[in-house]
Amino acid sequence: MKRRFRLSIGERGIKKDVAQEIEFHIDMRTRELIDAGADPADARAQAIATFGDVPRFSEACEGETRKRVHRAAWKERLDTVFQDVRYAIRTLGRSPGYTVTALVTLALGIGANSAMFSVVDGVLLRQPPYANASRLTVVAHPVPSLQIADLAFSPIEVSEFRAGTPAFDQLAEYHSMAFDLLGHGDPRRVQTGVVSADFFNVLGVKPYLGRTFAPGEDAMGAAPVLVLGYDFWVNQLGADSSIVGKSFTMNDRQHLVIGVLPPLPAYPNSNDVWMPISSCPFRSSPQVRNSRTARMVSLIGRLGPGHTFQEAQRELATVESRGHVEHPDDYKGVKDASILASPVRIAMKSDADSAFMILLGIAALVLLIACANVAHLTLARQLRREREFAIRGALGAARGRIVRQLVTESILLSLAGSVIALGLAWASVGALARVAAKFTPRANEIVLDWRVVVFTLGIAVLTGVVFGVVPALGDRSDLATRLREGGHATSSASKVRMRSLLVMVEVALAFVVLVGAGLMIRTFEGLLRTDVGYDPEHVVTAHLDLNFTKYNTSALDRQFDDALLARLRLQPGVVTAALASEFPASSSSPQNLTAFDIVGRPAPDSAHEPKAELSIVTPAYFATVGTRILAGREFTEADRDSAGRVTIISQSAAHRFFGNQNPVGQQITVPGAKNLELTIVGVSGDVRQFGPAADVSEQLYLPFQRFTVRDARLLVRSNAPTGATSNLIKDAVHALDQNQPVIDFRTLSAARDDAMGPWRLTTILLALFAAVALAIAAAGLGGIVAYTVGQRTEEFGIRLALGAEPSAVRWLILSDGLRLVIIGLGIGLAAAVASLGLMSRLLVGVRSTDPMTYGAVAAVFVSVALLACLVPARRATSIDPASVLKGA
Amino acid sequence: MAGSDLFVGTLDILILKSVSLGPQHGYGIGRWIRQTTNEVLQVQEGALYPALHRLQRKGLVEEEWGVSETGREAKYYRITPLGRRQLRAEASRWREHAEAVSLALAAAQP
Repeated sequence: MKRRFRLSIGERGIKKDVAQEIEFHIDMRTRELIDAGADPADARAQAIATFGDVPRFSEACEGETRKRVHRAAWKERLDTVFQDVRYAIRTLGRSPGYTVTALVTLALGIGANSAMFSVVDGVLLRQPPYANASRLTVVAHPVPSLQIADLAFSPIEVSEFRAGTPAFDQLAEYHSMAFDLLGHGDPRRVQTGVVSADFFNVLGVKPYLGRTFAPGEDAMGAAPVLVLGYDFWVNQLGADSSIVGKSFTMNDRQHLVIGVLPPLPAYPNSNDVWMPISSCPFRSSPQVRNSRTARMVSLIGRLGPGHTFQEAQRELATVESRGHVEHPDDYKGVKDASILASPVRIAMKSDADSAFMILLGIAALVLLIACANVAHLTLARQLRREREFAIRGALGAARGRIVRQLVTESILLSLAGSVIALGLAWASVGALARVAAKFTPRANEIVLDWRVVVFTLGIAVLTGVVFGVVPALGDRSDLATRLREGGHATSSASKVRMRSLLVMVEVALAFVVLVGAGLMIRTFEGLLRTDVGYDPEHVVTAHLDLNFTKYNTSALDRQFDDALLARLRLQPGVVTAALASEFPASSSSPQNLTAFDIVGRPAPDSAHEPKAELSIVTPAYFATVGTRILAGREFTEADRDSAGRVTIISQSAAHRFFGNQNPVGQQITVPGAKNLELTIVGVSGDVRQFGPAADVSEQLYLPFQRFTVRDARLLVRSNAPTGATSNLIKDAVHALDQNQPVIDFRTLSAARDDAMGPWRLTTILLALFAAVALAIAAAGLGGIVAYTVGQRTEEFGIRLALGAEPSAVRWLILSDGLRLVIIGLGIGLAAAVASLGLMSRLLVGVRSTDPMTYGAVAAVFVSVALLACLVPARRATSIDPASVLKGA
Repeated sequence: MAGSDLFVGTLDILILKSVSLGPQHGYGIGRWIRQTTNEVLQVQEGALYPALHRLQRKGLVEEEWGVSETGREAKYYRITPLGRRQLRAEASRWREHAEAVSLALAAAQP
């Protein structure tokens, strides 16, 4: 009798088969030798000898067999999967309602995560696009007492750091300034990165065209060269590939273009063009080169192989403290300046990053809700498929096989959902990147790439497993019961309980998401209503940075400024015009926090020195921004006299430093203007100088005419529309000087809104997520109530027939649904209180446990839940008792 | 492992030819090769088996356990349709090759 196959799977089987086969050969050979007359005593030895090296041949045979068996096993596994997939597609196609609902739910849940992940990955997780990113070290120089996050270094300090830090291969310097660029089109004001020649080498950036700076090109007296930023080259020069080798005029000198950079993060700043330090007239001036206090550059280093950030930190700190000891005078105002060396990825984080993380976290909650909802839909579907499973079970399908079939269906659904999700993410990622560009330097890295696709497919599979396996849990009913109960899928009480549980989970999670959104909306609404202390409407601002080669004395500066303001005030519609070093919400952190002494008081220790944010403003500044003068007077034209050593302080500064004393008439001294006593002539209203989310800051104002600012902001309050006002400003500037750029037109209200950008984005996205969460949870709730009503049709019919009031029956149904909601809300409440503390950093004026928000969200929930239950409840009371009884 | 003058691939052709005549066990295949080639081609007996297992992995032969003429359980090899195609292709290539070599050897001029 012949057998077709022998199951030789498994290592022992393989060895046994080969051994048996060879043993058979040797036996046969022995027998033949004996038949041929050999001595039976040594026939077997002879047979083995003619066979050859038995162990070697056995091993070779086993190797071949092993390969064959493995391949066959894989093929069988794949075949099973294909079979499962084909079957899944067929069954899903047969219930389009379930399939479409599940797909939409999953696509929304997964899509939210894909989009948020692409943002978080782009700005936080991946290394910046520098070849040397893992070794790049950004050297910050914080001065806590002045709230300065990063005090610049002077060129003298830079050379000391270079000499004292063997941990670095190279240490590059950087600063950024605006210059006028002439040639190839209109005169342009360009933001220019000014760097040591090794800067791009340190970052590991290869040029897109041409080359970057060569060693020695930053030496004093080297021929001026220029490298163009990618965006500038594309947007301003039309991606002219012949630009390398051409020249621009900057600062009255010819600069040769030697290369174009690839797209890079807007880090440390967004720059249009780049030049070596030798080309920068400020950086190369003797005053700057020879002064320890000419603090204007920052440092970025590349660690040598085998060196660590900690080593670099230690070495830098040693150099810093030596400077403090050897030159105490130069560190007078900044005694507590210290060194903070950090990896570039950490240094590039922006304030908005925590918002992105929270958004990703909330997106994950939305996905969990989607998961729970699809699990419960799947359960409902399985209840209808009881019979199918029972039959398959009876026909011999193992329970594991059926579970695998269910998981295949769910993974198939979630993978299909993830394809739609990627479409959604792809459609939204561009808009997200554009918005994010306003508050993170790495927005151009927010893209939908393979990392996002892998993440998406990963969570899709995970999702599929979760909502595929959860319904299979708790299913303990045996085959016989299921067959007996047949088509009426009333059997699995455990499944019904599981569905209720899932709906409660949905409600609880949706509650957390809604409260999160509610807190954010309250915050944002609070920010919108915040009294910023000025009137941002109808004011246009612009950046006016006078060309210093032309306006090279303060007299020339003043002449231009005066003429410009006089001309502007005469224009139709213009109410007032002013120049200032800063304006409200032009930056989000102190730029000029200045310590001062009050004349007639003993100098306090440095920790208790009065400090205020300094702005330098022209007369009419307060009228232009709409801040009231509460006591004393505003600056006047007369304050330009050398006699007019005057200052204005804000109300909060007056309170803090003068208490109940009248500050007007008091005198202060500012370290920058040594021994210059300034008389306080006025007290201004408080202003939120750093945006609506920041606290009111103590302000100190000095008259513009005495402390000329070349790089100034122009402010014009006008009744004309914004566009007209901008044109009018341009015309006024160009009427005075054809070649003087004026840029960055922005209304004061836009500056305020931009300062709220991260909150706006977070609020909008959270509101969106909350809407999705609520819709899914409501659908889930409505679904389960409808199902219960369907199950209890007979009971309700009987109740109605026995004279029950329809309203009583309705209430019976509503209370069932409401019970789920109330328990869900209870769990959600605890979860929200426990978890939403993570949002505290984003909340302004609202606590993460704000009872108002919780109450409002609970009310919304209960109303939506009532609506969701009402539809099936009405159906229940429209049952015709007679037909039910007849059918029963 | 080949006894003498056995070109690469020759053993495979001989095995396939042998099993194309009907299912056979390894010992039988070896015996058939010895007899039909008049013992000119000497195959070390053990070398046959790794070749058989390799052909089986490639799907050219398949196994079948059965009872041998001596009443013992033995592994038989049977040619598959794929193996038969392979045998035809190899055989015609072998003939062309042999003809070409013969022609060359028969040439009179250098």
